[in-house]
Amino acid sequence: MHSPQETHEDSPIGALTNKGVAQTALGAGPGFEPIALDELQQLPFFQGVSGTFLSLNRGAVVKRHFKRGEVICREGEYGSTAFYILEGKAQVSISSPMAHVKTPGALRKFLGKLSSQLTQRDHDQREEENKQLWIPIDAPVDLAYANPVAELGPGDLFGEMTCMSLYPRSATVRAQTDCVMLEMLRNVLDIMQRNKNFRAQLDKTYRERALDTHLRAVPVFAELTDEFIGSLREKVELVRYTPGQVICKQGDAADAFYLVRIGFVKVSQAHPGGEIILAYLSRGDYFGETGLLHGDMRTATCTALDHVELVRVGASDFGRMIEQFPDVRRKLEAVERDRMEQNRERLSLTRSVPLDNFLQQGLMEAQSLLLLDLDSCTRCDACVRACADAHDGITRLVREGLRFDHYLVATSCRQCLDPLCMVGCPVGSIRRRNSLEVIIEDWCIGCGLCAENCPYGNINLHPFDVMVDDPENPGRKKAAVKQKATSCDLCTNFAEPSCVYACPHDAAHRVDPRKFFAGLLGQGKT
Amino acid sequence: MRIDRTHKSWLIASLVILGVATAVYIPYARNSITGPRGGSAIGLAFGIIGSAFMIFSGLLAARKKVEVWRLGRAQSWMRGHLWLGLLSLPMILFHGGFRFGGPLTAVLMALLILVVASGLFGAALQHYLPKVMTSEVPFETIFEQIDHVRAELLAEADELIARASAPLKLVAAAPSGDLAATADSVLGAEETLAPLRNFYAREMRPFLEDHRGRNQPLADQEKARGIFERLRRLLPAGMHETTTSLEEICDEERQLRQQVRLHYLLHGWLMLHIPLSFALLILGCVHAVMALRY
Repeated sequence: MHSPQETHEDSPIGALTNKGVAQTALGAGPGFEPIALDELQQLPFFQGVSGTFLSLNRGAVVKRHFKRGEVICREGEYGSTAFYILEGKAQVSISSPMAHVKTPGALRKFLGKLSSQLTQRDHDQREEENKQLWIPIDAPVDLAYANPVAELGPGDLFGEMTCMSLYPRSATVRAQTDCVMLEMLRNVLDIMQRNKNFRAQLDKTYRERALDTHLRAVPVFAELTDEFIGSLREKVELVRYTPGQVICKQGDAADAFYLVRIGFVKVSQAHPGGEIILAYLSRGDYFGETGLLHGDMRTATCTALDHVELVRVGASDFGRMIEQFPDVRRKLEAVERDRMEQNRERLSLTRSVPLDNFLQQGLMEAQSLLLLDLDSCTRCDACVRACADAHDGITRLVREGLRFDHYLVATSCRQCLDPLCMVGCPVGSIRRRNSLEVIIEDWCIGCGLCAENCPYGNINLHPFDVMVDDPENPGRKKAAVKQKATSCDLCTNFAEPSCVYACPHDAAHRVDPRKFFAGLLGQGKT
Repeated sequence: MRIDRTHKSWLIASLVILGVATAVYIPYARNSITGPRGGSAIGLAFGIIGSAFMIFSGLLAARKKVEVWRLGRAQSWMRGHLWLGLLSLPMILFHGGFRFGGPLTAVLMALLILVVASGLFGAALQHYLPKVMTSEVPFETIFEQIDHVRAELLAEADELIARASAPLKLVAAAPSGDLAATADSVLGAEETLAPLRNFYAREMRPFLEDHRGRNQPLADQEKARGIFERLRRLLPAGMHETTTSLEEICDEERQLRQQVRLHYLLHGWLMLHIPLSFALLILGCVHAVMALRY
């Protein structure tokens, strides 16, 4: 398919101004079928749409024919289109191994070799690992961790996040039977979503097929009964927000609880020095419970980072839930306490050191910095070699970066308090623990978006040779290379990171910047 | 490695070892009938201790090859290498009774003195030069990337000159019925840009291309400053920004050259120290076998 070359005039999607999307063609050739105007107008979700708009944007939607077994889109690939199934069935799955990168070392501890392996969470429990049973994807279903395969059929829309926000494809979709689909660009998807009937159809599909698993995927709600979820099904509201739109403001009265269905939400608090980012939430996350638990005001501002869809549970239904299920209330309160503690730490950080000295370099955003004392460092690169030796020849540190005083802030994961790497993950697999340390879950599909988003270049993609099912030869497997995102793991199997351990000149140090730089500032060495 | 307060315990331990060894040697040397010899019990003990110190010091090279093996922190090994390596000299001097002996032992003593001296020289370099590098080369990059950075600087400089010449091309290309006026405009622009283009072609580009060139005025910071000041006076105000950018590129090239020099100083002394050390260890083994067996 071809990337559109859009003219951004009054409206970036051209939908509201009835202007054509210039030079747009969603491909041609076998399997592509331009769709006639009268055929478009007959589709229920285009009823009521101006004929002029449809005429001008005919190139932005095509009919695609897929043969049984044909791949429609692959996980990790970038795209700009969404698909609507008219006929046939498709299988949606994640082919990346459900495993995380582990660097074991029991026997190898002496040798210090941290040969990286892929290990499932059943065999290797990590602290504060997300035990969720469902993986959120860009489709009207979630995938089960145990068997990440599901079926899509006529009336299903998938690829919304890719289309609206240009995120990588979250899963692989393959035609299970001969299929006919509409493939569309953002302007066409947007106009479809404005159609009441289409919205109602999508909402109905979500309520019937995904709301259950979505709610249960949140560990706090795992014990809700089927009856209660059934009673919620028709009462919850599905609400949409555009990029930058404020969902709820700090200080407003709390009137609802929200579950993130699509997109990313920024949680922030106002602070004398500016806005402090507390968290980024993605599909499966929730917010708004703190104000409701205490009948209080909103403690933070939540803003849509991209095209966001939320499940809104009203205050009365939320109250009914915590009344009927005291365990849920207890769990929510425990989560709230953890969040408050994290926020307190985060805010105390900003108060302990003058912000303006560090904002430019983002140093105080870090929880852990690898510093090289340039007055001691002989530039021998022993640290880099040690990191590579400890991680299958792939270094997770680069001896380059910004300088502060006589220290080099090496390029290595900083465990940022504002983790930009987490924004946009199509499967929500990169998050952080309560300790604020970054963790990459088993269902990372290796798309590399987190690596692109990291402003410091601290995330690498580690290739692994795996055997995967060969779809062209059912029952057989074939060799493939799958990538998993990795970043500095602080060599957690050892008492000291390998880079620090291997430095012969006492120049490499892993520090907590709050303590380290606060001391320097106290001495006036800025 | 910086020799600072953190070496205090090593210094004290070394002084204690030296003190004890001296306290043992002096009466031994005074009371020995034939004078202190390597073959005597005490002489042999000093020889073994000195050899052990040398072997441990030599093992640093092996330790650095297995950087991630958990055999003790690399900096502990380095400190041991420095202090025990230094102590090996008095131990071996006590072992030989401050005599050089036959050809083999004379060569060994000379090697030991050279190894220790080169080691002290290297330790001094590694103590002082990192700080010099930090202050004199703020644009420091990874050493292996220097060639790449240089290529980028050259491309950037070429681009700046090309952009500066662009108005000239526009004047030449502009359709005009008056050929004479166009020619005058072109000539005028040529004269304006001539100092910059000549300077770039004759001085700056060779300076950026030939990193080892001699007699390059731009290689000296003060001279370069003067050259660019004179150039600015010859150019219109509109070209001063380009001139400043070119000056910054030259400054960065000078820093890269300084980085290369300092890098070779920081690591070049090892080209002498390591082979001499290996020779010392090997010949030391030969000496031990021959002395003990024969």
